[in-house]
Amino acid sequence: MKSPHPRLIVVGSLLLVSIALLILGASGFLQPIQDLSMRPVTAIQTWFAVRYSALRDLLSSPRDVAALREEINRLEAENARLEQEIISLREQVSEAEVLAALLNYARSQPENRYLAANVIGRDVSPFIRSVLINQGSDKGLAQGMPVVTARGLVGRVVEVFASYSRVQLITDPDTAVNVRFQTSRTEGVLSAELNGELLVDLIDLNAELSQGELVLTSGLGGKYPTNIPVGQVISIRRRDFDLFQTATIQPSVDFDSLNIVLVITNFQPIILESSSP
Amino acid sequence: MAYLIGIPLLVLLAILQSSLLGTFHFIDGRPDLVLLAVIGWALAGGKTEAMVWGLIGGIVLDMFSEIPIGSSAIILIVIAYLVSLYEGRLWEAHLLIPLGITLLGSIAYHVWFLGVIFLMGRPIDLTFAFGRVIMPSIFLNLVLALPASQLLAGLRNRLYPPEIEI
Repeated sequence: MKSPHPRLIVVGSLLLVSIALLILGASGFLQPIQDLSMRPVTAIQTWFAVRYSALRDLLSSPRDVAALREEINRLEAENARLEQEIISLREQVSEAEVLAALLNYARSQPENRYLAANVIGRDVSPFIRSVLINQGSDKGLAQGMPVVTARGLVGRVVEVFASYSRVQLITDPDTAVNVRFQTSRTEGVLSAELNGELLVDLIDLNAELSQGELVLTSGLGGKYPTNIPVGQVISIRRRDFDLFQTATIQPSVDFDSLNIVLVITNFQPIILESSSP
Repeated sequence: MAYLIGIPLLVLLAILQSSLLGTFHFIDGRPDLVLLAVIGWALAGGKTEAMVWGLIGGIVLDMFSEIPIGSSAIILIVIAYLVSLYEGRLWEAHLLIPLGITLLGSIAYHVWFLGVIFLMGRPIDLTFAFGRVIMPSIFLNLVLALPASQLLAGLRNRLYPPEIEI
């Protein structure tokens, strides 16, 4: 009997190893090995990401305006902080009646605690919109924690390893966020198209939306805190024969230039078994 | 020796693919450096080694992705095996053969990933996938295919200098 080609034996063995890894990975047995093996890799990746980010910034701006750029960055950060404050104040004005009752409650709540993290990589699959950050369970991160920048909502932690975590962006097609329109007070569900475009669906047909209106998290569902800016309305589709209207949203965060994010570590998300928003 | 160099190289390429090329994209496509390395090494004559590179490179890539660990390895091993079947027969005759191999390899690689994504229960839009992701990625892979195969052939010649009869 003729023996099989040795290369066929090799390919068969390697495929068996891969299938075994698939099964072990699905069962969660690879997590400790992944934690251990990714620790040095994460360090290298952080090194790369930080330098690449610095190099990109350097190349994208003339050298003689470095000082001005620094000043602009400072002012932009200040501006973003003030914008957040304005949004917060507007919210307080429109919710004055409710707030009066909630004031004592709000005072008794501790402020959000943040943990800063560097974005060290993106999912290698172009079909999945998630980023890797260089903080993990070593620093107390847990699945479901919301991730923000000074400008607004980025996403939430979906996988946690010892030294790094994976953050699913709100532009991922598998994400859904319950949102509220700031002026019209109507609610909807934000989801992303495959091309990353953000849409809010399930909006009451009678709601009067306007272009430029701010969209904030509503907190419904318990996955995200309330009043985190998500974006602004850029177009509205309203047809009388539809049950709901939809709005296209310009995200407040620039997802192409994410360098540093903040993880809200004291938020306790409600994790449901189903994939509801 | 091929593994001593190959493993760090594949880890480095996977890091580059995740951190640097994550922000560099043509439409929505990105070059697949690990795929190019596996094809390049198989073309350079590393028959069995390329398959092992596929396993290692695939595992490292999957650690940077939500995709289940092992799924990239499977397709990379299969591609390396198919390339190695013709090793030493065709591309020595024509410089453009690496382009053809890269084209077919890239198509197989991305179609496989579409299947994996589908099995993961994620939404798929074939028009978007082919028009904005797969075709641009294949284009970038083709642009890099010749330099990659030349670099890896050069590396292999340094590691395993061809015997010369005197």
